Amino acid sequence: MFTRHVSRQLAAHMDGELTQPLARQVELHTAHCAHCRAEREQVRFGMEILDRLPPVEAPDAIWLSIEAAFREQRSRKMPVARRWRWAFSATAVLALLGAAYWTVVHRPGTRWDVVRIDGSPTVIRAGEWIETNSGSSATVKVGEIGSVEVAPNTRLRVVTARPGEHRLALARGEIRAKISAPPRLFFVDTVSGTAVDLGCEYTLNTDEAGFGLLQVTKGWVSFQWQGIESLVPAGASCRIRPKFGPGIPYFDDGSESMRQALENFGFEKGADGALNVILAEARVRDTLTLWHLLSRVEAEDRARVYDRMASLTPVPAGVSREEALKLDAETLKRWKEELAWTW
Amino acid sequence: MVDLSDRQIGAEIVAACRSGDRDAFRVVYDLYKDRVYSIALYFFHGEQAAASDVTQQIFLKLMTSMGQFRGDAEFSTWLYRLVVNACLDAARRRKSDAAISDRPCLDAFAGPGSQEEDYARAQMASSVRAAVSALPAKFRMAVLLRYFEDLSYEQMAKALHCSMGTVASRLSRGHRMLAERLKGLRDTKG
Repeated sequence: MFTRHVSRQLAAHMDGELTQPLARQVELHTAHCAHCRAEREQVRFGMEILDRLPPVEAPDAIWLSIEAAFREQRSRKMPVARRWRWAFSATAVLALLGAAYWTVVHRPGTRWDVVRIDGSPTVIRAGEWIETNSGSSATVKVGEIGSVEVAPNTRLRVVTARPGEHRLALARGEIRAKISAPPRLFFVDTVSGTAVDLGCEYTLNTDEAGFGLLQVTKGWVSFQWQGIESLVPAGASCRIRPKFGPGIPYFDDGSESMRQALENFGFEKGADGALNVILAEARVRDTLTLWHLLSRVEAEDRARVYDRMASLTPVPAGVSREEALKLDAETLKRWKEELAWTW
Repeated sequence: MVDLSDRQIGAEIVAACRSGDRDAFRVVYDLYKDRVYSIALYFFHGEQAAASDVTQQIFLKLMTSMGQFRGDAEFSTWLYRLVVNACLDAARRRKSDAAISDRPCLDAFAGPGSQEEDYARAQMASSVRAAVSALPAKFRMAVLLRYFEDLSYEQMAKALHCSMGTVASRLSRGHRMLAERLKGLRDTKG
């Protein structure tokens, strides 16, 4: 009676998608058929393991292209006659705007809106400073790509303000940047190097000498100084120091001893024990730290870092120990791309 | 599993989108972007660039064809039909699809725990993603729609342009293929 296997219905049965008679038939069959019972266990295991794959957040940059398409679509929707009238008017307006733009860009600098300083709005141009005291703060609108909150006791200069490059110089104090734009449009210079936005939100502070901290809350930031680069993802931080540039990035939820060891390792000589602590304390997501360490430790220590990384997470295909120890750029890039899933 | 109750698109939002309301479209985008992106990401073996391209295409298509949505089907079913078409079309265009099917995987299980547990999680996640990537496209898409969208078999049948029986069959077979590839994990789990 129940000779026909029910392999095709097993998932539907477990998902409650079968009619009652069909469900009953599957139950009766599996009660007597070892083959289908084994297959049911396989389907159950497949379902169980997939239940643990979470959604991944879509990058912000996707919305920008959609918005651009929105604007284009709107302009296309305009009736032809109206579009001609609009085009004629627009030409006149553009001529005026062009003249205005020319006068603005040929004056000391292009304007940026400062939305609030002590509650009063003002504007600044490239080359001008924003300074807050202990009782004031400001919000700077960065063109169309985001905003920067300027904390009390901060001194900040607008270096460049044009569509392809928005650049600030942070002399001292703290800023919180919220940028929604394609990577490498927003830069913040400090004494210790430059924070390059890769589509993100972050806090950056520094004193006048250049000692400071970068903390990323969303997306990624690249901090660069004289060929040294630290990539800092959301949830991670990176110390900055004059004449050293960016330190080794670390996740904020890591251990205090690891953080302290990184402080010693990155910026002080003779901290031999620091590497031992870092390697011992590292978790899977701390391969962020170890990946950066690979290219910054002395050659004799590099193998220890590699081995620790390999013990924390499987080394992906295409990454060999030999090439990694030679700091082959393509190998390190490939490894980073795979590790970044865990960061 | 995903809770559908928090992401129903009402007729008024659809109407606003049709009339070109940017904010309404942003609501739709925000509601679905992560799930659409996740499906594309897992479908394209973890390649972020491919997933971003396809996600962008899907929402652009959604925006331009919103006027064609007659409301006689659920919005999500219609959307996932676009997802399926976009992913399969892109996969057809990519000759390297099969060649990269054994790429290593996303660590979806990172979290607090001992180092041994961390390693085990990373290894498990790597294996699961590789196994999903290695499924033939029609099984992969069925499995991803089921897990990221919790669609009913009827909705999946509409999105996948097939019968409910075929959906059931693909899910059963897809899960068995995954279990077969991941049997080492089951053995170690005890």
